[in-house]
Amino acid sequence: MGLVKFVGIVCTLLTACGRIGAQASGAKAPGNVTSGKQMFLEVGCAACHGAQGQGTDLAPQIAPPPLDLEPMIAYLRQPTGKMPPVPSGTASDQQLADIYAYLKSVGPPGSLINQLKGNPENGKKLFVAYGCYECHGWQGAGAAIAPRIGPPALSLAGLLRYVRAPTGQMPPYTAKVASDQDLADIYAYLKTLPPPQPANKVPLLSQ
Amino acid sequence: MRKSQRDSVNRRDFLRAAAASTAGLVVPPSAAVAASAKGSRGWAAPPLLKPVVTDGEPNVEILTVDHPGSDFMVDVLKSLDFEYLCANPGNSFRSLHESFINYGGNRAPEFITCCHEESSVGMGHGYAKIEGKPLLVCVHGTVGLQHASMAIYDAFCDRVPVYIVLGNFSDAAVRFGQVDWTHSAQDPAAMIRDYTKWDDNPASLGAFAESAVRAYKIATTPPTMPVALVAGHTLQEHPVPGGAGLSVPKLSITSPPAADDGAVAEAARILVRAENPVLATDRVARTPAGLSAMIELAELLQAPVIDRNGRMNFPTRHPLNMTEHAASTIAAADVVAGLELTDFWSVVNSVHGQVYPETQPTIKPGTRLISITANDLFMKSNYQDFQRYTPVDLAIAADAEATLPSLVERVKREITDDRKRAFADRGAKIAAAHRQASEAQRDAAAPGWDASPISTARLSMELWAQIKNEDWSLVSNCQFISRWPLRLWDFRKHYHYIGAEGGYGVGYGAPASVGAALANRKHGRLTVSIQNDGDLMFAPGVLWTAAHHRIPLLILMHNNRAYHQELMQIQIMASQHNRGITNAGIGSVLVDPPIDYAKLAESMGMHGEGPIGDPQDLAPAIRRAIEVVKRGDPALIDVLTQPR
Repeated sequence: MGLVKFVGIVCTLLTACGRIGAQASGAKAPGNVTSGKQMFLEVGCAACHGAQGQGTDLAPQIAPPPLDLEPMIAYLRQPTGKMPPVPSGTASDQQLADIYAYLKSVGPPGSLINQLKGNPENGKKLFVAYGCYECHGWQGAGAAIAPRIGPPALSLAGLLRYVRAPTGQMPPYTAKVASDQDLADIYAYLKTLPPPQPANKVPLLSQ
Repeated sequence: MRKSQRDSVNRRDFLRAAAASTAGLVVPPSAAVAASAKGSRGWAAPPLLKPVVTDGEPNVEILTVDHPGSDFMVDVLKSLDFEYLCANPGNSFRSLHESFINYGGNRAPEFITCCHEESSVGMGHGYAKIEGKPLLVCVHGTVGLQHASMAIYDAFCDRVPVYIVLGNFSDAAVRFGQVDWTHSAQDPAAMIRDYTKWDDNPASLGAFAESAVRAYKIATTPPTMPVALVAGHTLQEHPVPGGAGLSVPKLSITSPPAADDGAVAEAARILVRAENPVLATDRVARTPAGLSAMIELAELLQAPVIDRNGRMNFPTRHPLNMTEHAASTIAAADVVAGLELTDFWSVVNSVHGQVYPETQPTIKPGTRLISITANDLFMKSNYQDFQRYTPVDLAIAADAEATLPSLVERVKREITDDRKRAFADRGAKIAAAHRQASEAQRDAAAPGWDASPISTARLSMELWAQIKNEDWSLVSNCQFISRWPLRLWDFRKHYHYIGAEGGYGVGYGAPASVGAALANRKHGRLTVSIQNDGDLMFAPGVLWTAAHHRIPLLILMHNNRAYHQELMQIQIMASQHNRGITNAGIGSVLVDPPIDYAKLAESMGMHGEGPIGDPQDLAPAIRRAIEVVKRGDPALIDVLTQPR
């Protein structure tokens, strides 16, 4: 999912949920982080959004949560797009409040990592040597099995967090086989890649 | 008249005899008897060859046969209306081969020369999915069958009828030498019995005739599958016995098994009363009628269709096609009707995890499941292609295509005016979601549009631009090119797509494409294939078959220079094992030296172009190749592509 499109969807959700958000949720107590983490896995949120809500090729990053609690619950009850509904039989309002607390606890991407300076030329070599191209394509344009990552939609910290503990079919790359600096170099290379042209500018895609 | 022992060697077996020092075992009956009489046990063995009296003189070796059994076999097999016989020659069916091309006139069936038995069966697989009936494959009973076995397994898993005749030197007493023994088996079909529907080893021509007709009937009755019939060499080569009273039994095709009325009525009630029913398809449309019936059912219910694409089940641009929104559609369902699903479980569940699989339902609790499949009527135990067991609320053991007409009628009777209004609202929402999904596919195709190597989306759309106004047929699997054609093209007709290999056996793609193109030839269709490079390397000789028999087929190579699925698997293992991630290419890439597929095609007598790495060069090359194909010949363009 392109960054522009993701932002658009989030904006749409915020607008839509703002209307619904006037309804009070059934959550009576502040969310419990530990229960929330367990529920996050049990309900299946992690399957698409990643074990830490960092986002995957299936669904966007949701940690820290982009919505307030009330609109988030409203959205989960009546979602749009690929997001399946989470009926109250699956997770009560209180349990969703727990999940929300967990997502808030995950916190924003680390600032130290963002200070790493990447070398795009070395990153280009590592992109091939480490096999990133195998699923994401030689220019990171993505395929059915893996999303577009060039240029990246995630922050460097978000990319590191996901690469270390991925979900779906993405294999884990530990620090033993790919250092933070290696990943920063790859990230720097991915940042040099041009954004894709819009589909409506490609005549063959209008057939 | 007496002949010398040297002269007594059967002339047709000269080469075999040269290879086998045991050629001297073939002796005139009188000599054999004499030799045996000197044996230590002091008893006389029966003669190896039947003595024949000619003009009153006994003990003359038979040199010619006027009416070999294989002529009768050809009469029988011709009655089954095979168009083609695909085979790599083998001496265990040499008599049958000769009878087909001379006695049978090499017409119906026409002999298609194949360079590998896997190609013969693969061609039969592709042909049947276009034509709706099997062609004949003759296989050398042991070594040839072992070559053929993977392709047979693919056809079995894909529920496709392929009719296989196995030559065998069944009667050990009349084997000519070492090779005959090595190429003989006590039970030739045993090695494929786990993945064929039926086989037989008839001991007489009369039994052969009955079994041949029975085999056809069994193969073509859903669930359709490969069958094998052994043709013993003495039955083929020796004269038809006098007074055998042989006849060719009449073939009566079995009507496909349809569901009983009660089950159909219950399914209709559930579907009509559901708020969010989903129709999930895989191999419903065996024929054009299946496609039409699927459209009618979906439109009556205004229900979304999720197509697993084992066949061309539902038009890709139909507003009710929600294949590209499958996850959310299934998640919202209160009823899922699985129609000839190969793997119902994975439609309503997902698997996650890196080292250990974790499963999770993708449906809401309480969602009702209906299954209609002929797979419930026939299943074997050893090979596990039957997939995970799925508990359903209504299991209907019947052929879905044959059941659809009665289900449609029952649904019509169940629908009230209130439900019609609700269905119309539902249909409008689905159509809007379909439009949204279609736009998302186009958005996803744009990244890397001008990249080199060429993106598989660009490859697909450059091809589509030049075939969309033709009567086209895509006969290759789309899985390894991110399914772009299925996501972007307008598939509407039964022959627009034929699904994949069934058993995920690499090596299916090239021969199945040629077989499908062979079936399309008489219909004048423009057959196109996006061919995986590693798949072609299994048995590239099928290109020669296409050129030799002038089978028009446009092949665009998806040359990603690797057994890429496995490359990714090794990468996953290297990552999981946490000990280096730079060696995954060892054993799985095809880069040093690079394979020149254009030259490979040219060496087989085909038009070949490429390798093409600049997307700007692709359209002119496709145009040139289509001109070749329209003249009736195959053509190949080597395209350097992105991995997926």
